Amino acid sequence: MSWRRGTRLERGSPGDQRPLSGWVKGEHLFRHEYGRLVAVLSRRVGVQHLEAVEDAVQSAMMAALQSWQVDGEPTNPSAWLYRVAQRRLIDELRRRAGRGRILAQHSGELGAASSNDMQEPFLSGEVRDSMLRMLFVCCDGSIPLESQLVFALKTLCGFNVGEIAERLFMSESNVYKRLARARQRLRRLASHEDVEAAQLVLRLPSVQKVLYLLFTEGYLSSRADQAIRRELCEEAIRLTTLLVDHPVGAHPESFALLALMHLHTARVAAREDASGGLLLLEEQDRGRWDRGRIQTGLGWLARSASGDHFSRYHAEAGIAAEHCLAPSFAQTRWDRVAECYAMLEREAPSAIHRLNRAVAVAEWKGAAEGLVVLEGFEPPTWLAGSYLWSAVLADLHRRAGQVDAAARYCQAALEAAPTPEVKALLARRLAIGDPS
Amino acid sequence: MPKYLCMQRSASGDCEPPSPAQMQSMYEVFNAWREKYQKNIVDMGGRLRADGKIVSSEGAIDGPFPEAKEVIGGFMIIEAANMDEAVEVARQCPGVVAPGSSVEVREISAP
Repeated sequence: MSWRRGTRLERGSPGDQRPLSGWVKGEHLFRHEYGRLVAVLSRRVGVQHLEAVEDAVQSAMMAALQSWQVDGEPTNPSAWLYRVAQRRLIDELRRRAGRGRILAQHSGELGAASSNDMQEPFLSGEVRDSMLRMLFVCCDGSIPLESQLVFALKTLCGFNVGEIAERLFMSESNVYKRLARARQRLRRLASHEDVEAAQLVLRLPSVQKVLYLLFTEGYLSSRADQAIRRELCEEAIRLTTLLVDHPVGAHPESFALLALMHLHTARVAAREDASGGLLLLEEQDRGRWDRGRIQTGLGWLARSASGDHFSRYHAEAGIAAEHCLAPSFAQTRWDRVAECYAMLEREAPSAIHRLNRAVAVAEWKGAAEGLVVLEGFEPPTWLAGSYLWSAVLADLHRRAGQVDAAARYCQAALEAAPTPEVKALLARRLAIGDPS
Repeated sequence: MPKYLCMQRSASGDCEPPSPAQMQSMYEVFNAWREKYQKNIVDMGGRLRADGKIVSSEGAIDGPFPEAKEVIGGFMIIEAANMDEAVEVARQCPGVVAPGSSVEVREISAP
């Protein structure tokens, strides 16, 4: 039995078996192009003009929609969009500056922007650099973490307010407020603008945290439908890949982060049965795990094994790797999993990590030893009231032969199950090996 | 085959612009429609800008009238065996027949 983070169970749309790696390139053309254009143009005219940039990009895309429908798609859609967005942005900034001073202030940038060859940014590393810079701009420690995520989803991933609200389970007005405050903060920052290289390094942990959050929103959410969750995971991988590819981000912790993303997504398709029902780790068909992705993940994990800091990302990637490498549930190296959880607990203290360590120890040394890990441990209320806590305790008590306690926790787990799928799974799991 | 002028009317005023993801699907749906009715499309026409002039014997004034509830937002010319077919082509055109917008289909009279 396994209730660890990485294998938490979720529901999804039945029949959608499309592997992550099989996504067609260009499926998100508009959204990804949006992120690229916003990043490149804001870098050229300054992030203080972010709203004008976003409007110009939006309007260029509307123009594309109309023009391409009539005249057909241009041979280089990116260059087309860039040219139109840039022209509209310059027009808008000129109009705003109309009466003088500001134009003088920015004429250099605008001139540079307008005289540049439109294809140039797509040939150089500018897109990558600009997107990375925008990512660092988003991860401003003076705005709340959730707002950083909202801001990144808007500017880099091209989601609108409604789509962000849907993905993060926030109200639209909450998303809107967070965006407005983040932009306000950026405008104030604008005068002593560009995030310097030294500052970039200081911000790296925030950037990693936001990317991690983006990934777990996709990977762990039990609410959104599967396509949406996969999309968030893919966005996280896309941006993290950008990060590790750059000198500022090429850091062991970033490698570990990317490793854990690949090692988790490799197993996504196997988490449910043909009818969309949930599967336990021991029930999963390991043949359906994406071997290519596991190899990629292990490659990044190997690269992450340097430096002097063992981060939470290292611990989580290590746990995921143990599962990926185990030929079967029974043959999992539970001692190593338990060890990684202990390290994870030290790096990122959380009750859920303690619970997961108890599960790993139970597999390793027996249920009674697992219960010892939880002895005297007072779970926070959010965990104590969840089906997860009750289900693990029910299972451990049952296996340790403590029938009464097992029955009590079993009842509590079934009552706390958030969805019928989880309830079905609990009923199945808690009955396995039951002598009755 | 008779030709038909399709005039798209939509409620005037701004509406929430679509997100990039929505634009992507609009684009894909539109391309699928165009593929399907390729033989019917004579002139893709286009969208009309919001500003224009109304010319009469008294001269030219700014138009369309700002107080008008519906404005013609775009046009195209299609070819069809009869009005029923023309209506079907127009009806399936994505984004044309939606809440707040409609399409007027008129046969272009031939001598």
